Amino acid sequence: MTKLWTVAELALWEILRRRGVLLILLLFPLAFYLSRRGDHLGQSIRFVCLGIGWALSTAALFAGSAARGIEPRLRLSGYRAHHLHLGRLLALWIVGIALSVPYFLLVRLDQHDVRYGAIALIMLLTVATAAPFGLALSAVLPRDLEGTLVLLVVVGLQMVMDPADAAARLLPFWFSREIATYAIDHTDADYLTRGLVHGVVVAAVLTALVALASGIRLRQRGHLRVVSVR
Amino acid sequence: MNHHGWLDALASELRRHGIDPELSRHVVSEAASHLRESGEPPLAVFGSPAAYAAAVAESLGAGAAPAGRPGGVGHPLGGPVRGTARAGRPAPGPVRLDVRGIRKRYRRRPVLTGVDLTVRAGEIAAVVGANGSGKSTFLRICAGLTSPDAGQVRVYGSLGYCPQEGGTCDFLYPEEHFLLVGAGRGMSRRAARAAGRAQAAALDWDPAGRIQARHLSGGTRQKLNLVLAGLGEPDVLLLDEPYQGFDRGSYLDFWQQLWRWRAAGKAIVVVTHLLNQLDRVDTVLDLTPAREMAS
Repeated sequence: MTKLWTVAELALWEILRRRGVLLILLLFPLAFYLSRRGDHLGQSIRFVCLGIGWALSTAALFAGSAARGIEPRLRLSGYRAHHLHLGRLLALWIVGIALSVPYFLLVRLDQHDVRYGAIALIMLLTVATAAPFGLALSAVLPRDLEGTLVLLVVVGLQMVMDPADAAARLLPFWFSREIATYAIDHTDADYLTRGLVHGVVVAAVLTALVALASGIRLRQRGHLRVVSVR
Repeated sequence: MNHHGWLDALASELRRHGIDPELSRHVVSEAASHLRESGEPPLAVFGSPAAYAAAVAESLGAGAAPAGRPGGVGHPLGGPVRGTARAGRPAPGPVRLDVRGIRKRYRRRPVLTGVDLTVRAGEIAAVVGANGSGKSTFLRICAGLTSPDAGQVRVYGSLGYCPQEGGTCDFLYPEEHFLLVGAGRGMSRRAARAAGRAQAAALDWDPAGRIQARHLSGGTRQKLNLVLAGLGEPDVLLLDEPYQGFDRGSYLDFWQQLWRWRAAGKAIVVVTHLLNQLDRVDTVLDLTPAREMAS
């Protein structure tokens, strides 16, 4: 556990020291929220949740790319692949929760007649999903620019696609629209159930994908045999 | 340069030349007395600290590095060539790194064609070769970071690896790097910090302070890289041109550190293109392709 916590702690420091990026991350969902607050309060909640997802995915993408240089060395220094990716995920989840709390409070104070518990659930699932989503992208697309463009496309599609369309369920944050409908429009619990299942499955699949990519990239190659002498 | 600064610089240079600390203190004390009594500027009396230390070392016939003729170079197909740097040192220990028949092609171009290398505890092997001859690839294969097309590598003990570039986190302080790598090695925070500071001091660098790695100079960043490779006392050290950006003094410190590691029984592989140090190593592996050597 010491190794996991050490990676998490230092990954957290790395993120927190990118002050400019942090400021943008913090304000980014606010811009989403304010963009629709004037005409459609409910829509502003949906947008702020997507904004949190986009901001955290981007942070994870950059954190994953930045770690590529040192991870092979850490692997040789006694870390297992799971220490490295889980430690980083843990740090990103903490950042995500810290990012979500002020927005939840904003919704709580600014919006009425909505199901606050469901909104908290959206934010929690968004954090759980966005961190591995960004790390998975950084594993598949090592260049930041490519990863950022893919993120842009995914979030753009998330905004414009009809949630009722079956293809929309392939998008990672589909659960957000579904649970938001339950929370804002007071629909029946089917929306909540569908969204919850989708969110949990997507978070699990993306986390597994990150573990797989990290395991492959940092595997001990077959030609090398390390014999203990101590 | 005032007396004090000159004497400090002299002490550093004597250390770099491997002069016994007691003798070094004596030399510095003698020089201080002379300067005090004569009242003359040190540069006028002794010249530069580096030159005076070199003269002292030469007059003593000392130096941590063993004397010997240049250890020749070998061809990858013919295998590494052993130098004579071992004179006056204990016999090498057990095999720590055993590389057999490494082949690697990039696209259709063969880079490594059946490379063998054996390094024992207490030995330094230098890997030399022209640009693009596969030195870094060879080291990455030894570290298990790149797969060869054929061949086997056996490492007896733990590995420390210093990459040519990267290997540090831009937004972390040097001491946080010690904690990070130290935790992987199973070291406590205190032990990792102490070991990192001690190794940094050997390279004439103070890692304390809140300077993020991205703000370190190129040479200092490489010192950090080198310290991280040696943290936790790995049995085998793989160093890929770790001295890039070093000034002259740091470069000498680097070789001193290598010899200390060798004396401590570590097996060291260092990629280098600076041939003037080849007489200080035990084995030289030249990866220059045969056609280039012939021309």
